[in-house]
Amino acid sequence: MSLEKLIYGYIAHEEDYQDKTEIIQQGTKGDWAFVIIEGEVKVKKKTPKGWLTVDTLRKGDIFGEMALITKGECLRTASVFANGPVKVGVLDTDRVIKDYESLSAQMRTLLRALVTRLKDSTDQLANLVSKIAG
Amino acid sequence: MVAQIKHVLPPVSRLQYKKGDLIIKQGDYGISIYKIVKGKVRIIRESGGKEVVLATLGPGEVIGEMSFFNKSVEPRSASARAFTDVELEAWHPARLAREYEQMPPIIKLIADKMLSRLLKTNALIGKLGAKLAESKAQRSPRESEASGRRFYRKQVDLECSYRPIDAPPKVRFPGKIKDISLAGIGMEVTSVGRSSVMHDLGELLHVVTVLPNNKEVEFIAKIVDIRKGRLPGRLFLGMAYVDVSEDARKKLGFFMMP
Repeated sequence: MSLEKLIYGYIAHEEDYQDKTEIIQQGTKGDWAFVIIEGEVKVKKKTPKGWLTVDTLRKGDIFGEMALITKGECLRTASVFANGPVKVGVLDTDRVIKDYESLSAQMRTLLRALVTRLKDSTDQLANLVSKIAG
Repeated sequence: MVAQIKHVLPPVSRLQYKKGDLIIKQGDYGISIYKIVKGKVRIIRESGGKEVVLATLGPGEVIGEMSFFNKSVEPRSASARAFTDVELEAWHPARLAREYEQMPPIIKLIADKMLSRLLKTNALIGKLGAKLAESKAQRSPRESEASGRRFYRKQVDLECSYRPIDAPPKVRFPGKIKDISLAGIGMEVTSVGRSSVMHDLGELLHVVTVLPNNKEVEFIAKIVDIRKGRLPGRLFLGMAYVDVSEDARKKLGFFMMP
């Protein structure tokens, strides 16, 4: 099965967003993730010096997965904005979590550590950028 | 399949460390993963002879997961030292690696995406950190003196190794230090077959050498001057120190005494 078919099999429903709409808001709670079906999004982090773009994602890319893996315990670490009109698929949280729960406790711990590391690194990057900008 | 893997995971082994013991050494190639059962562990990065505490971890947290996700192609990016007496669980990396390969594709996809994002972010942090160090150096008065390198220069012929500071630690190029002063060094390098990018003015290089008195020193220096070397295919780099630890400064100072 192609990767695309695989992810699309997990889509619960589709959503359309207009240019510049905030699809995910940094600091809020939520345990669902998205896959981009069409279009582009910008992942931005709020810093004391304003918004910092940390990534641009395209068709087939997933976002919001950090909160999904931690079942919503981890607040959204960044905001995601539509960059032009975007069509996204919302992943079926229950199905993904069921797959996740089938892993050994050790593997789940490792994945959560990966989430923490990614969160810390993104924070550190935002910090550095605002230092350099200052 | 997954249930089977769960079943065959061996019982974990427990390890005890005394306060101050080194658990993981930065630069080593290791694949063990540890979970802290009791006590606290400090994650430390050594750079230019300085130790920077990156994190203090407690019970339930894991150590060494990066080498696992990186398939241990990179050496350990930081050291781990027991901050109190600690008890650790050592995990079986080979079995976990097998589970990783066989896990549900959607989870593997998410994990792979997070990993590539993390590596990208870390690479960017490395680059920006260097830029920040550079702009700080430019602002400090010592640097303007250093650029001129007007200090007494001792002529030497020392083997050394160097790498661009944002390259992984295992990347090492051989060079030859031809003179040393308290402000910088003159270094001869091979320009053939290497990306010219790293021999540009303003590039920061991490240099390691052993002084004739058998003291090893390492420091970060900036390329402030580039000339053709005496032999074809060689470059002579005038370098000004940007980051030298107190310890390295002492060793250099001692060596520079007439």
